[in-house]
Amino acid sequence: MNAITPARQWGALPDGRIAHRWTLRNDSGMAVDISDLGGTLLSWQAPDRQGRFGDVLLGHATPGDYLHATAYMGALIGRWANRIRDGRFELDNVPYRLDRNDGPNHLHGGLDGFHHRLWEVEASIGELHLRLVSPEGEGGFPGELSVEVTYRLDDDGTLEIAYTAHTDAATPVNLTSHPYFNLNDRRGDIRDHMLRIDADAFLATDAGGIPYRRQPVAGSAFDFRDAAPIGARLLWPDDQLKIAGGFDHCYVLSESSLPESRLTGEHAPLREVAVVADPASGRHLTVSTDQPGLQFYSGQKLGGTGRREGGHYEAFSGFALEAQAFPDQINGPDDAAVVLRPGAVYRQTTQYRLGVD
Amino acid sequence: MAPHRIALLFNANKVYDRQVIAGIGQYLNSTRVEWDLFMEEDFRCRMRDIHRWQGDGIIADFDDPDATDALCNLTMPVVAVGGSYHDAAAYPVNTPYIATDNAKLVRLAYDHLIEQGLQRFAFYGLPPNPRSRWALEREGAFERILAADGMESTVYRGSPTSAGGWGHAVEELVAWLRSLPKPIGIVAATDARARQLLQACVIGEISVPEQVAIVGIDNDPMAQLLTRIPLTSVIQGAEEMGRTAAHLLHQMLRGATCADTRVLVPPVGINVQASSKHQPVKSPHVMRASHYIRQYACLGIKTEQVADYVGISRTVLEEHFKRELKQTVHQAILQHKLETARELLAGSTTPLTDIAVRCGFTSLQYMYAVFRREYDCTPRQYHEAHRQIIPS
Repeated sequence: MNAITPARQWGALPDGRIAHRWTLRNDSGMAVDISDLGGTLLSWQAPDRQGRFGDVLLGHATPGDYLHATAYMGALIGRWANRIRDGRFELDNVPYRLDRNDGPNHLHGGLDGFHHRLWEVEASIGELHLRLVSPEGEGGFPGELSVEVTYRLDDDGTLEIAYTAHTDAATPVNLTSHPYFNLNDRRGDIRDHMLRIDADAFLATDAGGIPYRRQPVAGSAFDFRDAAPIGARLLWPDDQLKIAGGFDHCYVLSESSLPESRLTGEHAPLREVAVVADPASGRHLTVSTDQPGLQFYSGQKLGGTGRREGGHYEAFSGFALEAQAFPDQINGPDDAAVVLRPGAVYRQTTQYRLGVD
Repeated sequence: MAPHRIALLFNANKVYDRQVIAGIGQYLNSTRVEWDLFMEEDFRCRMRDIHRWQGDGIIADFDDPDATDALCNLTMPVVAVGGSYHDAAAYPVNTPYIATDNAKLVRLAYDHLIEQGLQRFAFYGLPPNPRSRWALEREGAFERILAADGMESTVYRGSPTSAGGWGHAVEELVAWLRSLPKPIGIVAATDARARQLLQACVIGEISVPEQVAIVGIDNDPMAQLLTRIPLTSVIQGAEEMGRTAAHLLHQMLRGATCADTRVLVPPVGINVQASSKHQPVKSPHVMRASHYIRQYACLGIKTEQVADYVGISRTVLEEHFKRELKQTVHQAILQHKLETARELLAGSTTPLTDIAVRCGFTSLQYMYAVFRREYDCTPRQYHEAHRQIIPS
């Protein structure tokens, strides 16, 4: 099984607590660094076509930078990944008001979402277990939610992120991981990456990023069922691209918005849903998940974000593919599917696999 | 409503044009848009009378200057497909243009050669011709990249390929290759040009890739078939160009104006093969032997023949191989045969018996045995497992 280096001090937070980092390694020399701060994926060293290692994840330099930044780089996101319209929902006839931290809307768990929390970490053989208790009222959500996330790096280059959660009162739950990838560690632009997403439809959004319609991808810039270069697609005339300044949309991976696992507590089968390939480095990334939605963000607003190696990232320095439930689903007809009740278990498994051509 | 009548003016004999057309087809299939498609075997005949054609729209190959002249002033929607230009003024006006990004094609080839550890570079292009302006664009891109890196570039355009001066042209190409400092990486404007380089290297006894590493553009299966040393080649995004062109025309038929739209499509990838896998080998005997093995392994050669070619004894050659490559001469021959077989299995529907023969295995059974030993699967399983991941 694969090695984990013991915890190392990474840096101090403003309140004096210390953030740590751990490294997962595999047989082919890959190394994934993870912090207890936000459960964040800090870096992923992986070989290119020539066997030369480079970091495929974007990141900031210090723990303090992660607290100040707004890009959610590499972090675990909860209790609600993505947006909720006007930061409001109703559950069992009780209205709730959430942090509004994205214009009028709620985004990624609010002002102190999971990405800002210091997780409890336990290393076991080849795996890293992260635990967090989200108290009742955090961000405005009802119920105390206990979350466990397991990171595991396999020898075939798969990084698996497995989530479970349970609650003492009914609450919406939608968790995800927010790594920004650039498969070419030598060029700060992902627009020549080739993207394939196995989805026939996506959710068209309003100017605030809230979905209002399920739309077929056929005949539009959003059709990635055959692999296509991200940047060339950004040049297609398209109102949805104009609204978001690029891609920041949720793809509909499965018609059923109610994953079996939600009801039975069993593991749902994983499906390979997206592949990104970089012609220059020869690296490719495969995303597999049991989730119904996949948010694709092309990184158009990354300009000015602090860069690990110093200076700033430019727009389109990285892309994100986040497996999750649908944005604002709690306010739609499928709201029951995203409500976790006492006694039930939330489960999600998502895998990112890196390889070379 | 009757389907729109759309003319596709392309030279469907070229792999690049065919891929563009395939991309248009993919777009139509995915949208269930029905177009009556008009295609001509020789689309240039059609070009002169195109203004009299009673159609609704055109997608055309604008690499041909005749197309630019004939189509620019039509009132029906026209979408242009062609190569990118460094000088923005070279694009046709008031026509949406979908381009293969020549600068990025060359950049990918050059970056690959750098990765191989090469420090000298040359470009093999084409003599200026209005029908192949892309060749000059790629040459210009190559020169700009090298200039930006503070390096001197060597460019050879050769002569036009015509039967008359053919022998002479090859001699000149061999002479140019001999005159170059070695080792060197050469970017060829197309796979056809890369194939000529490979041929000239064989004639001139210049070993590929040790002395000359070669990268073509197009990933043309025909060029692969006709070369003994598998060719590394940059894959153009031609299908995506077709999908994009169809999308724009579709929008224009619905009344959108796309006159200012220009989409440059980057390469899909690079198919890395033996012609550029540069591994610095110190022993000239191993270099000569490897060159011979790459050319003749699939004809069923044995260690003796390699030693004879190099002109040293078997024992001495084996010693050199063990030291430099950590394998025997026999293993090197077998490895080349297996690599060739894997290529053929992954990329074609050629019958297994034919593949065994073409790769120099004495029988299909022997190929099965070797495959099982080396890859823990049968050739058929290998074919099944790999054909899905070939982009269709």
